[in-house]
Amino acid sequence: MTTELHHLAAAYALDALSPEEHQAFEAHYPTCEICSAEVADFRATAAELAAGTAREVPAGLKDRVMAEVSTTRQVSSIVPDRAVDLAERRNRNAPRSIVLAAAAAAIVVLGAIGAIRATRTSDFDQVAAAPDATTIQLAGATGTIEVIWSKERDQVALVGDGLADPGPGLVYQLWFLLGDDAGVAPAPTFSPEDGSIETVLDVEDIDGIGWGVTLEPEGGSDEPTGDVLYAGTA
Amino acid sequence: MSEMNRKRRLRAVPSFDLGIDPADTESDDKSRENDALHRAGRGDESAFAEFYDALSGLVYGVILRVVRDPAMSEEVAQEVFLEIWRLAPRYDRDKGSAKTWAATIAHRRAVDRVRSEESRRQRDERELETLDEPRDVVIEAIDAREESEQVRVALSLLTESQREAVTLAYYGGHTYRAVAALLDVPEGTIKTRIRDGLIRLRDHLEVTQ
Repeated sequence: MTTELHHLAAAYALDALSPEEHQAFEAHYPTCEICSAEVADFRATAAELAAGTAREVPAGLKDRVMAEVSTTRQVSSIVPDRAVDLAERRNRNAPRSIVLAAAAAAIVVLGAIGAIRATRTSDFDQVAAAPDATTIQLAGATGTIEVIWSKERDQVALVGDGLADPGPGLVYQLWFLLGDDAGVAPAPTFSPEDGSIETVLDVEDIDGIGWGVTLEPEGGSDEPTGDVLYAGTA
Repeated sequence: MSEMNRKRRLRAVPSFDLGIDPADTESDDKSRENDALHRAGRGDESAFAEFYDALSGLVYGVILRVVRDPAMSEEVAQEVFLEIWRLAPRYDRDKGSAKTWAATIAHRRAVDRVRSEESRRQRDERELETLDEPRDVVIEAIDAREESEQVRVALSLLTESQREAVTLAYYGGHTYRAVAALLDVPEGTIKTRIRDGLIRLRDHLEVTQ
């Protein structure tokens, strides 16, 4: 699979892969030095092909674009000082869960009793039950990891089996796959117990297309240094 | 698109910038474009306007080349500019030029649009029991009239079969599998032609990152 993926950089740069291959390659190349370099190269070549077709832009388009720009929020950039960012979030989380509990209680009072179990469940269940939660399966050599991601809560619930022992001084680290040539962004580390993991991690407020997992030195890394062991996209 | 947009397009334009620069000033312009997009990423709208002026010709041109329909192309271009604005905070000058970034997003969205249109049309056509005629598409995509001199020269250095594969994929917006089916050639062969063709183009255009 991986050897095959290595040869797809050119077709990928021309957007000429099937949706399945596109997704697989997008999960692979940010973590592969050779493929990343090739993608950058071939994309620049493709941009020359694009420049060769430049045309006069319809009048009025700029005004409409700029009007929309002034009312459109940008995505958050990747904050370099993650430690501070996460500490802030932890402080914010406390009052927020009270609000959530209060909201849930109010709904119960209003009569929607059966489905609401949110008030006294664990963190894990709360993330899994978040209305915006999406589940992404990460495929790997040994077993799978399931990531349940709530962007609203900036948390993921992680569950997996059959994970290899990371070994001394190493931990598993989760990565955002950003898509659109943006590579990956770091997410927290985790350590399985007897090959199993079931935990909740605070993640940054980032738009990702999926997740990857590598082995990294304790404390985690800013950029992946280990091979991608698990990856999956929404 | 609406009647109003169509009228706007017909209005006379006194001057315009195609976003193509003479080679000797290219690196200066490139760093200016990169800088404009970088500043746009910090929420600077006037920097985004600068970026628009420099690269809108490229963005619209490549969309029009792939999508073909002017009204639909304009719609896609508007979406693309908004997406570039939204994602600008993620733009990293060290990882590539603003030009490459813009071209990547524009081409991707153009391809998304034609593929979803295609599947819609194919559904419609199946209902009407008429057959698609892919050969027209082939002729259209390998017709090089619409490319600049520089790109035409670069493309002329490829073998016929490489040129066909690269232009059908990039300008035609086809997957390599679709190209293989159109030309009745094995998929692996098309993959190789695309790769070899791009390597030759890259070496000729001396693409700098």
